[in-house]
Amino acid sequence: MYRRITRENLKKWLAGLKAEAEVVAPAKVDGLFTYQEFNGRELLRSFQNTRLPPKGLFLESLRVLFGWKSQGGSLRVNIPSSFNGQRVIFGLRACDARALRTLEPVFRGDYQDVFFLQNLSRTLLLGLACRVQCEGSFCTEMGIDPQESVDFDIFFRESPAGYIAKVITDKGNELTGESEFEEASEEEWKLARWQIRGPREKPLFDLERVKAKVLESFPDEDFWKHISAKCINCGVCTYLCPTCHCFDLCDLQMPGQGVRCRCWDSCAFPNFTKMAVHNPREEKWRRYRQRVSHKFNFFHQNFQTIACVGCGRCVVYCPVNLDLREVLVKVAR
Amino acid sequence: MNQRNEFPEGKNIYQPHLMEIIKIIPETGDTKTFHIQFVEASLGETFSFLSGQFAEYSVFGEGEATFCISSSPTRMDHLEFSVKRVGRVTSALHQLNEGDIIGFRGPYGNHFPLDKLKGKNLLFVGGGIGLAPLRSLIHNVLDDRSNYQDITILYGARSPQDLCFKYDLEAWSRNPLVKMVTTVDVGDKDWKGKVGLVPIVLEEICPSPNGAMAVTCGPPIMIRYTLKSLEKLGFTPSQVWTTLEMKMKCGFGKCGRCNVGPIYVCRDGPVFSLEEIRNFVSDEF
Repeated sequence: MYRRITRENLKKWLAGLKAEAEVVAPAKVDGLFTYQEFNGRELLRSFQNTRLPPKGLFLESLRVLFGWKSQGGSLRVNIPSSFNGQRVIFGLRACDARALRTLEPVFRGDYQDVFFLQNLSRTLLLGLACRVQCEGSFCTEMGIDPQESVDFDIFFRESPAGYIAKVITDKGNELTGESEFEEASEEEWKLARWQIRGPREKPLFDLERVKAKVLESFPDEDFWKHISAKCINCGVCTYLCPTCHCFDLCDLQMPGQGVRCRCWDSCAFPNFTKMAVHNPREEKWRRYRQRVSHKFNFFHQNFQTIACVGCGRCVVYCPVNLDLREVLVKVAR
Repeated sequence: MNQRNEFPEGKNIYQPHLMEIIKIIPETGDTKTFHIQFVEASLGETFSFLSGQFAEYSVFGEGEATFCISSSPTRMDHLEFSVKRVGRVTSALHQLNEGDIIGFRGPYGNHFPLDKLKGKNLLFVGGGIGLAPLRSLIHNVLDDRSNYQDITILYGARSPQDLCFKYDLEAWSRNPLVKMVTTVDVGDKDWKGKVGLVPIVLEEICPSPNGAMAVTCGPPIMIRYTLKSLEKLGFTPSQVWTTLEMKMKCGFGKCGRCNVGPIYVCRDGPVFSLEEIRNFVSDEF
């Protein structure tokens, strides 16, 4: 099902949604693109993607899980108030939406993380097709079409007169039903597909081959030492990664009360696996190998998807230019 | 937009139950065993676990740490766990007194394969605090003695002062249906047991692999050499079981740190047969 809307009307529509939901859209803050509460006035047009992935809107960098109070020797644990306010995020990219779908099964399963799952279920995902291949990205190698996706409730493509929307879910349909949207044809949707600026002639690597070879090269210590030589363990690749989800549990305490939090952690840090007398990943090359092998093989063995969407954030923002694309090319060789 | 209440199941997997410490037994200079009971008695009535499983224990304000349940599922009036003082949470636990409240989440992980041990000669090889998970299984087996054949327990520590669970060691050595061997790396003038490293004593007592199963827990270095000795004695990899030690936080395969190859030690372990371990992609544990 396809719908059409002008640029002005889309803004009005989103602004109107603010009455019943929290509306989030990309904004430029201190020179960086980020997801922020929509001001109701302007939608960014020059934006490619945010520096931080939207994962933090679902898996918060710091999230209170429960609190406690001790009074006169007795201790009481209290549950944080549950939030079920609706939320709409506009402007999400296909890579980041796929990342959210990749994370979902991790937080489902026998032990459901209600915090993540509730954030997901209370949010409508409105995607926006890319027109430019981001610097450092390799989404197409990862099997993601930046202009086509089923990971959203509604996916928008820009057209000369505004936007053409593909309505994917019932929730999306409900939202666009009685509003500024007009019926559009599949033909219009197809016409709104842009020639992506800056695509590659041929893929950098074959994903199937990477998946198989990463397991094969796992025991090759020299290979991984060579690959990871310039890594400085800063962990920025994991913090900016839309699929990295490792976390720590930590306590914050004040007199008579405290809270336990879930906070982001990183396999790039030596402390991540440090035990009392032993650390299985003390050496840097082991940690780098773990990150690549986990994303491109181990995660797949558990959840049947690769834990990378090729957004390229780790490539662009690595302070020592350790380019994951080059690593994968070497792995696949 | 319809308002949906989406707190699925409404259950917070990170929230611990409150437990009261009812007894503290000093084992060695740096190790204590805690006996705990659910503050909410009804929880205690429905709680169940199997030998080998572990739990997450909280000292509120200091954090959470992972220990196996060292008591037996056949003795459910309280739970026991044993803690060596090595870091922040363990030090905080050591500061606590009887009557204090801690947090408890669990049980997590898999368990020792009782079905595979039934009808077999059993060999338990433990070192130091590594006796804790074995002790749960040993009590379990002894409480159901007729289902098993010969039982041999080999336990070692660095010195006589470092022996944990001395009350159990004494009871087992008095038990006519158990062959109990205790050894220390370095003895003293009062020591009457064996002196020598566990793997060496193991080869000395030379248990037969015929119709036998071996279960071993202890420090990584002891495990490594014990596995070699067992192999030398003729035990096949499917006859040998051990527990893997890995840093854990969540206990259910989400936080990521105990990942070894496709396996999460907390979710898929901590109990593995040597056969399974041999097939691991990685040796990082």
